[in-house]
Amino acid sequence: MSTIITGLVVGGLFGAALVLAALADPDKIIGTLRLKDFHAMRTIVVFVLVGILGTWVLEFLGLANFDIKPAAVASILLGGALLGIGFGLTGFCPGTGLACAASGRIDALVTVIGMFLGALVFILIYPNVVMPLEKVAGYGKTTLPEITGTPKAAWIIPIVVIGFAALFLTRAKKPATS
Amino acid sequence: MDDVGVSKAPIPWWLAGMILGLVQVLAVGLAKPLGVSTQFVVADAKVLKHIAPEYTANHPLIGSDKYQKFGYGWWLDVGLIVGAFLAALLIHRWKLQTTTVWWRHNYGTSVLRRLLTGFCGGFLILLGARFAHGCTSGQFASGWAQLSLSAVPFTITLFGFGMLTAYLVYRKIPHIDK
Repeated sequence: MSTIITGLVVGGLFGAALVLAALADPDKIIGTLRLKDFHAMRTIVVFVLVGILGTWVLEFLGLANFDIKPAAVASILLGGALLGIGFGLTGFCPGTGLACAASGRIDALVTVIGMFLGALVFILIYPNVVMPLEKVAGYGKTTLPEITGTPKAAWIIPIVVIGFAALFLTRAKKPATS
Repeated sequence: MDDVGVSKAPIPWWLAGMILGLVQVLAVGLAKPLGVSTQFVVADAKVLKHIAPEYTANHPLIGSDKYQKFGYGWWLDVGLIVGAFLAALLIHRWKLQTTTVWWRHNYGTSVLRRLLTGFCGGFLILLGARFAHGCTSGQFASGWAQLSLSAVPFTITLFGFGMLTAYLVYRKIPHIDK
């Protein structure tokens, strides 16, 4: 029961936030991938930085629930490429595709139908294609600090610096055209 | 009228990013980090169980309990759809649309081609997301929040191929209201 409520609350807030943030707007995503409209990129940078710092705080408080994915590098490189191509073609990803379909976008709804087919093909090729590939360059469920034997701060501080540098470089230019 | 250019986001990037980041922190604190794409496989697995019960039961992936029950992740996706729908209604951005500004600017009013591209894109998006053990939410945002090693190869190919594809597909740049 509480699983249902927690899921609905977290998901509901996430869906609403994606719409408010205009990440559930394929025009904003394509604008960012084309490096012509940095709104989505700047939003994502802040999203990731708050996520990293907040998770770090929760860990100090003993409240963080981690779910590290296995670093099956070959499979992840391929998957990222396929997802990237679909992302660049449509301006949707799984979460924003659902959110866009819920906001009246028929093209997103059709994209979501394509996603169900993609999931089906994944199931069908899982035993013969995915399982062998998972073993190529597989490093298991590990984190950057763990595998390098370095403290978390040695990763978090540079990531925050890089994030702020990205925000600075993509700031709005003073003489506003438009 | 509204088709002239890409419209402004409802809220500023820094606020949007902070809200999304706080939703991530809430997810990490209450259950586990955000993720969307697994549930497409769960939905397909449920259907397959009816069509091919023996195949499903013996399948190395969808035969497992994780893919046979509606848990936190499922309700998160349901919540995401409801939350996005309500948010879009509230800010008056719920609108039946079949295409995007970037698409129209490059390919005219061809809705059928946009939908076909969306379907193929959706197929690649979910197939890729599962090869990668997660999508833009579960592998990129949540991966970095946990400093997971898996986020590194994913980020490289996701945005590399995403930017390349967008560059090749969307050559002409529409007016963007910033």
